[in-house]
Amino acid sequence: MTKSSPFSVRGRHALMVMRDEREISIVRRQLNRLGMTISEHDPAEPPPGEAVDVIVMDADSIPIKSDLAAAWKAGAPIIALIGTETPSRLKWLLELQPASFLIKPLRSAGLYTALVVAFDAAQRKMDDAAYVERLEDRIRSRRVIFAAVLQIMRSHGLSETDAFTLVRQTAMRHRTTIEQLSAEIIAVGGMPNRTTRTA
Amino acid sequence: MMAGEMRKSALMAVDEINSSDAYDFAFAPRLRDPGGVVAGYHTACAELIREEQVDHIVGCYTSASRKQVIPIVERTDRLLWHPARYEGFESSDNVIYVGAAPNQHVVPLVKHMLDHISGDVFCIGSNYIWTWEMNRVIREIVTSAGGRVLAERLLELGETAVDHIVKEVIDRKPPAVFNTLVGESSYAFMRALHTAATRAGLTVPMLSCSLCEPELKLIGPAASVGCVTSSAYFESIAGAENGAFVGRWKARHGADSNPSVDGQSTYVCVMLLARAIRRAGSVEIAAVRRAAANHRYDSPQGPVWVDPDNNHCFLTPRLALSVPGSQFEIFWQADAPVRPDPYLSNLDLTAIGRHAEKSNEEMTKRSHHLRVVK
Repeated sequence: MTKSSPFSVRGRHALMVMRDEREISIVRRQLNRLGMTISEHDPAEPPPGEAVDVIVMDADSIPIKSDLAAAWKAGAPIIALIGTETPSRLKWLLELQPASFLIKPLRSAGLYTALVVAFDAAQRKMDDAAYVERLEDRIRSRRVIFAAVLQIMRSHGLSETDAFTLVRQTAMRHRTTIEQLSAEIIAVGGMPNRTTRTA
Repeated sequence: MMAGEMRKSALMAVDEINSSDAYDFAFAPRLRDPGGVVAGYHTACAELIREEQVDHIVGCYTSASRKQVIPIVERTDRLLWHPARYEGFESSDNVIYVGAAPNQHVVPLVKHMLDHISGDVFCIGSNYIWTWEMNRVIREIVTSAGGRVLAERLLELGETAVDHIVKEVIDRKPPAVFNTLVGESSYAFMRALHTAATRAGLTVPMLSCSLCEPELKLIGPAASVGCVTSSAYFESIAGAENGAFVGRWKARHGADSNPSVDGQSTYVCVMLLARAIRRAGSVEIAAVRRAAANHRYDSPQGPVWVDPDNNHCFLTPRLALSVPGSQFEIFWQADAPVRPDPYLSNLDLTAIGRHAEKSNEEMTKRSHHLRVVK
């Protein structure tokens, strides 16, 4: 998948969750100028199933004491339109983890920046999540590697360092990962008996 | 210098309107000159609105000054008529943008460069927003077409010590130099490069999207020749409207005086305003803005009208070569006025890339050892 630049917003799909007609017309005009696709959604309703690239949400339009906040979470990046700066409202807003925000009253300037920041933040969040997943995989496989090294230490009478070196070199010769070879060592109860491996 | 050109042109348009029977009102100009001091624009504009009860403001050459004025005109709901081309990425309801948007100035010029001059380019400009954004656009288009930005060199505004950059250009012999310097820096650079290139027996093709006739005169007869320039207006535009305009200009300012793109655009601002007021029957902002929308004016630069989608203008991009006599020879113009695209949201890089493929192949043959293939 090629990463799309946060600066190219044309063709992306925005969902407007807003109430005020004047603000809706400002945002709609600006999104149209930028060549984006627009859907509108009543703030009083639960989130729609439709997948969008960004949500422009009037933070003041959703009651604090409602379950709707959680429902909006974990979807597309959210640009919050903020009128009320009371801690109670901001606390509610933080739960949504907004990707960027604009202070009301809205002007034509600012929305492009908010979109670019939101798309960039969303991309970074995805990159970070993928990175964390890779790290977690590696942590999980450490136990497997450790078990395999113990096995080789016992069966070959090697020190931990030498056993690990043997596993690493064998994995390289077999063109596989240390994690994969370790899993095989545990499965067969020793170094798997094969000469070459091509894939 | 540009501020003076713009004031002269605005007052010329005001006098024409005030002495014309076609308008049943007269403009009473209120002049302020912050003299390019950025902080002064906020004060001057606030004064015009508060003390002189001005509804419509014509002016601002630099983006820095326009961005000082916008918050005031938005808060007090006035209209700023902005004559200068700029880098885009703005669209205020309280500004009518009469100068060219980036799709009308830099994009056609870069396309021309890719098709007819070079895929590789050496960029030199002033260290501020105009150059930063021009360089970004140039880099995006050039790299997507398989070319390279060989260098980006910046000079502080007003800096005229250009020898180190001239030396680098002479040493590296780039196939094209994109000049986004402004004012004295640009004049100094063009003079010094011309001298050095002549001595070295080199021809360095240069491109600009801001050069105008009065500047050619300032730069001098030899150094000002041969620059490929993109603009919506040149004095040499054929046609009755421009012929008459140039005639009136010279009658008013002297036979050896030349109109410029920014001056002409300021004249167009005042004319668009007058025509919108006449059409609206009111000076009230919303009515004038509505009346200006899609209301075609056959200006010296050809048909111009405001696109109500973004308050920028439909206008005709042109490319020309600067020639002896402080003039431009137009060699290309768009078939029809081009819709403004201030956010470049309709810029199709793949189309430009494909378009440039053939000429890139030719260039690959010429500089094969230099090409990076991605």
